[in-house]
Amino acid sequence: MKICIACGMPMEKKEEFAMGDMTKDYCIYCARPDGAMQSYDEKLAGMTEFVIKTQGFDGKVARNAAREMMAKLPAWQGR
Amino acid sequence: MISKRQIQKDQTRKELIEVAFKQFAAEGLSKTRTSDIASAAGVSHGTVFAHFATRDDLLIAVIDEFGKRVAGRIHELASGGGSVREVLQAHLNGLIEVEPFYMRLVSEGTILPSSAQSALITIQSAISIHLNQAADHEIAAGKIRNIPLHLLFNTWIGLIHYYLSNANLFAPGESVLKRYGTELLEHYLGLITITAVQAYDENG
Repeated sequence: MKICIACGMPMEKKEEFAMGDMTKDYCIYCARPDGAMQSYDEKLAGMTEFVIKTQGFDGKVARNAAREMMAKLPAWQGR
Repeated sequence: MISKRQIQKDQTRKELIEVAFKQFAAEGLSKTRTSDIASAAGVSHGTVFAHFATRDDLLIAVIDEFGKRVAGRIHELASGGGSVREVLQAHLNGLIEVEPFYMRLVSEGTILPSSAQSALITIQSAISIHLNQAADHEIAAGKIRNIPLHLLFNTWIGLIHYYLSNANLFAPGESVLKRYGTELLEHYLGLITITAVQAYDENG
């Protein structure tokens, strides 16, 4: 099973991959409409929003958690 | 090809995570010493740090392992069209398997290093989004109330955490979730479900 390099989501089914392409290393939620992987800033904003939507946390707390989550993922090493 | 040495290294890492999982559950996330983990695993203290640069890194690896065990089945269920009941039951079953460790996360969560808290936040968000996936179908079908996602999740987790953080009052010496899981699940489903009478009142 592949793990999305940009958000850590497990990817098993075709529709979970960017553009439905199972050779891609990132998921549908980390792709822009044209299929390219989102930038760090786009992903950070998206992950922050995700934490707020799913758990209702304070914005700053959510942003810090998103930053720390992303720091562990292969796509964002060296940032 | 993966070398024998690499296989051995991965194996030791796995064993350390497994032993640390038990030690953290037994002694507490803040109190457990890396030297105790090393002795329990039968390796030198230095070996622990050859695999994990810091104690926090080891703790995060254990929290990630906890996440895999609890969220794995939920991910499969939710992406396969499972119901809210099935997702919550899988959550309970997963938590029961690691209940002593989860109790430590609940009681010590706010004093953990920020990076460890973030690891836990990631797991909880994944569980919440899977609950949402399952709830979406049932909200659309008019079976459950249209509650904002964070409240749908926080109401459920609030119930679980209250019981776990007062385990000594609810179930001294035994598993709180084994004893009360079904009652809590039924109660929660009752809160979010639209009854026939409510549907009639709303639709006339």
